[in-house]
Order: sequence, then C-alpha cells, then structure tokens
Amino acid sequence: MKNKFLEIKNVDFSIGGKVKVKNVSFSIEKEGDIICLLGPSGIGKTTILRTIAGLEKIDKGSIELNGKLMSSNKKHVEPEHRNISLAFQENSLFPHYSVKKNILLGEEKNKNRVNKKLHFKDIIKLLDISKILEKYPHEISAGEAQRASLARSLLTQPDLLLLDEPLSNVDQSFKEEIQVRLKKILSKLKITTIIVTHDSYEAFYLGSKCGIILKQKLKQFDDPYKVYHFPNSIEVVNFLNRGILIPAKVTGENSLENDDLGLIEGKFIKYHPKGSNVQLLLQPEDLEHDDNSNLKLEVVDRKFRGTNFIYTLKTLSEKLIPVLVNTHHHEIHEIKDKFGIKRPIRLEHIVCF
Amino acid sequence: MFKNLNLWFLMSLFVSISVLIPILTVSFSFFEDTSNYYQVLKDTFLLEYIFNSAILLIYVLILTFLIGTTSAYLVSFYEFPLSNFFKWALILSFAVPPYIYAYSLVAFFENYGTLFTILKNLFGDGNYNKHIPKFDGMIGAILSLSFSLFAYVYILSRASFLYQSQNLIDLGKSLGFSKFKSLYKLILPAARPAIVAGLSLVAMETLAEFGAVDFFSVNTLTTGIYNSWIAFDDLAFANRLSFFLLLFIFAVFILENLSRKKAKYHLNTKGGFKQKEKIKLNGKKAFGAFAFCFLILFFSFLFPLSQMLYWTLKFPENFYDLSIITLTLNTLYLVILSSSFLILFSLISNYGNRVSKNKTLNFLSTLSISGYAIPGVILAIAFITFVAWFDNTFVKAYGLFSIKKIFIGSVLGLVLVYFVRFYSLAFNGIKSGYEKINISVDESAYLLGYSKRKTFLNIHVPFLRNSLLFVIILISLEIIRELPITLILRPFNFETFATTAYISASEDLLEAAAVPSLFLILIATVFIMLTSKYILRMSNEE
Repeated sequence: MKNKFLEIKNVDFSIGGKVKVKNVSFSIEKEGDIICLLGPSGIGKTTILRTIAGLEKIDKGSIELNGKLMSSNKKHVEPEHRNISLAFQENSLFPHYSVKKNILLGEEKNKNRVNKKLHFKDIIKLLDISKILEKYPHEISAGEAQRASLARSLLTQPDLLLLDEPLSNVDQSFKEEIQVRLKKILSKLKITTIIVTHDSYEAFYLGSKCGIILKQKLKQFDDPYKVYHFPNSIEVVNFLNRGILIPAKVTGENSLENDDLGLIEGKFIKYHPKGSNVQLLLQPEDLEHDDNSNLKLEVVDRKFRGTNFIYTLKTLSEKLIPVLVNTHHHEIHEIKDKFGIKRPIRLEHIVCF
Repeated sequence: MFKNLNLWFLMSLFVSISVLIPILTVSFSFFEDTSNYYQVLKDTFLLEYIFNSAILLIYVLILTFLIGTTSAYLVSFYEFPLSNFFKWALILSFAVPPYIYAYSLVAFFENYGTLFTILKNLFGDGNYNKHIPKFDGMIGAILSLSFSLFAYVYILSRASFLYQSQNLIDLGKSLGFSKFKSLYKLILPAARPAIVAGLSLVAMETLAEFGAVDFFSVNTLTTGIYNSWIAFDDLAFANRLSFFLLLFIFAVFILENLSRKKAKYHLNTKGGFKQKEKIKLNGKKAFGAFAFCFLILFFSFLFPLSQMLYWTLKFPENFYDLSIITLTLNTLYLVILSSSFLILFSLISNYGNRVSKNKTLNFLSTLSISGYAIPGVILAIAFITFVAWFDNTFVKAYGLFSIKKIFIGSVLGLVLVYFVRFYSLAFNGIKSGYEKINISVDESAYLLGYSKRKTFLNIHVPFLRNSLLFVIILISLEIIRELPITLILRPFNFETFATTAYISASEDLLEAAAVPSLFLILIATVFIMLTSKYILRMSNEE
C-alpha cells in the first residue's frame, strides 16, 4: 500500500502541558496538496502547525511525513532535522539582518540542492517585496514582514510548508492578488502546504481540503464545497455563520414543511424518517426572490456586498432568514418592505440536524 | 524536574544555590551561641540600631521622593533653558557613592574647612566657624544618601511620566484642573507604581549602606553587623543582626516586586498613546525650573566633584603618594574578572530559561536575582561563615588542606561574592535584551536548520551585543563604587579606589581620601556618560 504524504493519527495537540485539540486524525494523500485549517482564535490551530514542525512534542498518536515517523510519544525528530518550514503569523525575521539577508537564509538552507525550483528573484517578484530588501525588520510594516517571512519559507523549498495566518496583516486590496499568486506558485512547485486561517473565504479558495476545528476537536475535514454546503454539525454551521437553522417537519422522502415557509422540496443529504422534527439549514442562496410571489416576509436589514445584497427577512414566528439577491435586480427593497419568496421552494440539497 | 536535567538547568541551579547560601547561613546562625557582646548590645544599643536605621530610611525616602519626582516632572513636562541637558545630567549623581558625598560634606562645612576658606578669602579673617552649619551625624548621613540615591526615583518616575499620554493632560484640562491639581490628582497617581519601585531601590540601598553611616558614626544595623564582626570577632552575632536586617530588606523587596507588576499594568498601549507636547516656560517660571534642576545637579554631583578636585590640587603630595596605576590595575582586574563570570553565567542562565521553558528553572532564576537586595556586609560575612563552617565540617574532618585561604582574603572569594551581589544586574540586563527577540525568531532558526548552539552564537549574541556592553559597564560602575565586600574580603595589601578612600577617611585623613575619591568619581562619570542613553532608554521600556 502506498504511503500517504502526511499522516496524522490520533494525536492530542498540546502546548505548555495543556491539551488544545484532542484525538486528531487526517492525512494529505499526495505531494502538492494544500490543506486549510479553520477555526476561531485560540482554538489550537497554531499548536497543530507547531507540533507538525517539531516545535512541540506529543504524548499520544503519531505524525508521519513521507512514510517516516516524525513524532510519537517515543520519538521526536528535532525541527532542524525535518525539512518543514513554518511561516509565523508574527514577525519572526532576524532583527539584526536586513530583509534581503533574512530571505537569503532560506536559500542558504538548500544550497546543496541540485533541483532548485525557485529562485530569489522569482520570489521577490511574486510577493512584491523588492522595495524593502535593504531595510531592517523594524523598519517595515507587519504585512511586509509577513510577506518577507513567507518568501524565506518558500525559498527553503521544504517538503512541507506550514503557513500560520499568512496574509492576516496584508491589506485587503492586495490580499486577493497575493492569494492568487500564492496558489499558483504552490501548485506549480508542488509544495505541500498546510495553511491556518480564520478567514473561511481564504481557506475555501486556497485549500483542496478544509479542516474545521471547534471545541478541541477536528469537527470536519472535507472539500471546501462540502464543508460549506454540507456541514456535518450545528457547531460547524454556527462557526461558518452562513445560514440559519429553522424548525421543520419531514413530510416525505424529498420534502419537509416549515410553519412560515410552507412546503420545501429537495434532496436530503442524510436520511431522516418521515414525521421527524428537524432543524433545516437555510443559506442565503437557498431561497429565491420573486416580487410576484404571495409568500411575503418583512425586510429587517439589507447588507450591500458589491455584486449582491443580502436581505434579512423576518418570519411570522420571528425567525431571521438571509436571502441573496443580485445587485442588478430592478427593485431595491427598503427596511419594513414586504419581500416575496419564490414558491414552490426547491433546494439543491437539504441539510438537516 | 529531573526530566529536564541538562547543562542549562545545572548552571541555573548552581547560581541559585550560590545566592541562597548567604541567606541560609544567616538564618541558621540565628540559633547559634554568641559572645557576651550580644547580651551587652541587646541591653544597650540594639534598639538604637533599629531606631537609627528606621529614621534614616524614612528621611531618605522623603527627600529622594521630593527631589526625584520634582526634577523628573520638570524635565518631562516643561521646556526651559538646558532642560535637555538636565535630562541626562541628573543621573550623574550615580557617580558619587554616599561615602564620598559624606567626605565632601564634612570637608566643606567643618571647622576651617572649604567654606571657611572661601569666606576668609572673600571677607578676610573672622570667626566664621560658629556660623557655619555642621552637617554631621544623622543629618549628614541623610543628606549624603539622599543626594546619591535620588536618581533611582528620578529615572523611574521620568520613565513613567514619559509614558503618560497627552490624553491624560488633556483630560485634566477638560475637567478644569490647574497644573498643580493635575499633578497630584492625575500625574502622580498614574506614576505611583514607578515611584514606589524607585523608592524601594532607595530603601534597599539605604538599609545596605555602610560607608557613609560608618563615617558619620551613626549606629545602624549595617554598622552593627560590621562592628560585631571586626571589633568583637563575633560572627554568630553579626549573622543574628543580619537576620533582622534581611527581614527589613525582604519586606521592601516584596513591596517593590508588587509595585513593578502594577507598573506594567499602567503602561499605555501604543494605539492609545499620544505624544506629549512639552510646555514652554518663560520668565520667572523658566528660571525657577532651571534653578531647581541646576541646584540638584550642583549639590548631587558638582559639589562633591569640586570639593575632591580642590583638595587634590591643594594637597598634591597625596597624589604623588598614591600609586594610581596599581589602584587602576587592581580595580580593572576585579572588573574584568567579575564581569566575565557574570556575563557568561547570565547568558547561559538566560538562554537556559529560554530554551527549556522549565517552571522550576524560572523559579530558581527569580530566586537567584534576589542577591542584589542583600547588603554587601551581610553577603561578605555570610560567605566567611559558610567557608569556615564548610572547612571545619568537611575539609578538616577528612584531613585535607584548609580551603579558607583560597576563599577568604583572596580575589577568588571577592569575585564570588561580587557575583552573588551583582548577578541580578547582569541577568536582568541580558533578559531585557532577550525580551526584544521574539521566541518565533529562535524557532525560525531551528526550522532553517540551525542547532541550538548555532542559534545562540549566530542570532542571539550578535543581537545582544549592545545589551552586553551596557551590562558590562553597569557592573563595572557598581564594582568601582563597591565598598563593604571589598573591604572585608580583599587580599592583604590589595586596595581599590574605594577602599583607599575609606581607609584614609577613617583615619581622619580626609584630604588624602580626596585623590582616590576624585578618580573614582571621574571613572564612574565616564561610565555613566557612556551608558546614559541606555539607562534612560531602558527605564522607558520597563
């Protein structure tokens, strides 16, 4: 059987003697995959990266890289002997070296490597840091330090690259561009990467798989599409905060009914027996707007998101439902207006708990 | 604890035990038999010792508070002629140890002293002696200590004032407060932890002071300890007195630690900080502020310096009698040896703490820096007691050569006790440098393939270069001024500027004490000028 590139089995991740995430198992099947770990602040995402890098030890489970055991309760390969690079969230540049010297230290680590895939000049261009090369770490902004640190990590051409909130300090306007460039270079060079972030959009864009860490557990580890559309628990729904749960009763194999919205049809992701009471997940894109519909709800809020509006509607039973509408829709509804919902309601997939 | 047994752990353990030895020795000796001197003293002078120590402490605290906070307030909030010069010049008082200040005070005001000569030259012969005030005894000791030590309060309260945001001042204005009301309602309470920390340092130094109080014949616990050892050869009683003094010191030490924790709490975050605009003073107010700072600089530094310089010039024969080169070499010898030891162990200990993240080690390091709080007299006597006990109990019992000569009255013994006394200076100095290196810097180095040794040598040491230089100069400054340890433990015929000045003064040859005192002040001044930028900057960062 072929080895997985990275395999984490039943590991308790802890820091300072305190267990942060329990009994975690996941794997990266092949070289070049990008994994994103999502979770609220302080949940232990960074601890996971630190442990994989070898900066923290484990008492339970095992971590294998390329078939070699890196960490277990009996063995611990020191960080300097793993070819793993970690770009920290905070400024970790050597304070007494210029940015250029700092970045070149990454290249120095691989000076004997024959097959060099990435060069100093390429990386400088990629991350747009040519103007700060002669400066010292205290003379640059947090975003620039983060990019310099990322450049150093990339230049080491590690077997596994770990990025801790790599773009958290980068300006929003520049962030998306860097995300595109980063994904391109990681894919081109086939650098296997684990990215920790609290930005779900960043995770969904960059990762081929996403892990959601909540309440000391890896709650879900799946494709971004599935994580978003088929969350496997109420905790994940609440964390992603992209929909609401409303009470409903299963009326058939492909239908259920809600007191305010009436009949709802679609394909159940998971079997629920007829007659059972469930919590239905409604995401903004699930319901369609129809000015001519006889199902009208009151608008209580409207968020402008550039390409679309998200209306928040109040049902008779005081539930607040989000509905997404294209900005170019001919009529803009004001607060307290009546807002029509297209009937019959058909959902692409029905997610219930 | 033993899971993390490594070189770093053992080094820190060694340092901590070295510091604990004097404390334990003093505590155990408390129960030993003493000579009759104890009974005599208990019935007569013991209360006087405690009373005098308390009086000295209270008055010195009041004076240093007034001088330190007022001067710090003026240079931090106002712009007046030479205000930028006074900002650093006021710390020059550190160059004058209290005992040299005491010599200057007596020399200036004594019968037929310098003031008498000035008056005689100005107004001709006259019976000036009966009109010239005499600053000796307790008053002399209070003044000497206050003018030598106020800089602790000055530096820490200035740092705190600098951190106070313009918002605080604006808040006072919006509440309709006058400048004075703003000072006592807002500025001083906000700086309280820093002021308390400064006063605690003053208190520790005052209780530990030996030279000045001995010169003025003020019987305090410190002189009592020294006399019971030197005059009555009663080590057990010296240790018993030390125990009382240590209780005093530890109370102050705890207070200081508590206030420091609060000081951190009081610092403003960068986000909410608004740089203060200094208020420009004109006319009488500008002159008043200038005059106050100038008088403080004059009394604390220029006055003792001029007095010593005057006597050196007036009695040049003392200069020729003294072997300046030998004294300089002796002082340098001690400075180089002690700083090398201190720097080496402090670096190892700091690095050990950083890489091992061991709570026991951390606790031991905290314990080991308490050496600075223990008066030099106690350290020296406890060291002798311990060596004598160890020699009698272990070495002689096995018929080995006595180790007393190796440690007592030798440079090795002297350096070891200096080590305990000044370890906290070195440790904290390097620690504050280390605090500026984020731990992720080390981890990045490991991930780049650096070993711990390579990280230490290639990343830490180059970055800590300035901190190390600062620490070396600070230790040198302390060793040059140090008196009781050197006096008690120095080898026969081995003198430094401090001991030479003390011996001449104790033989009533004040004019002969002037030359070594002058050299001491000048060398210390150079060191302070070299480090003033760091002292002011570091206190800002604390």
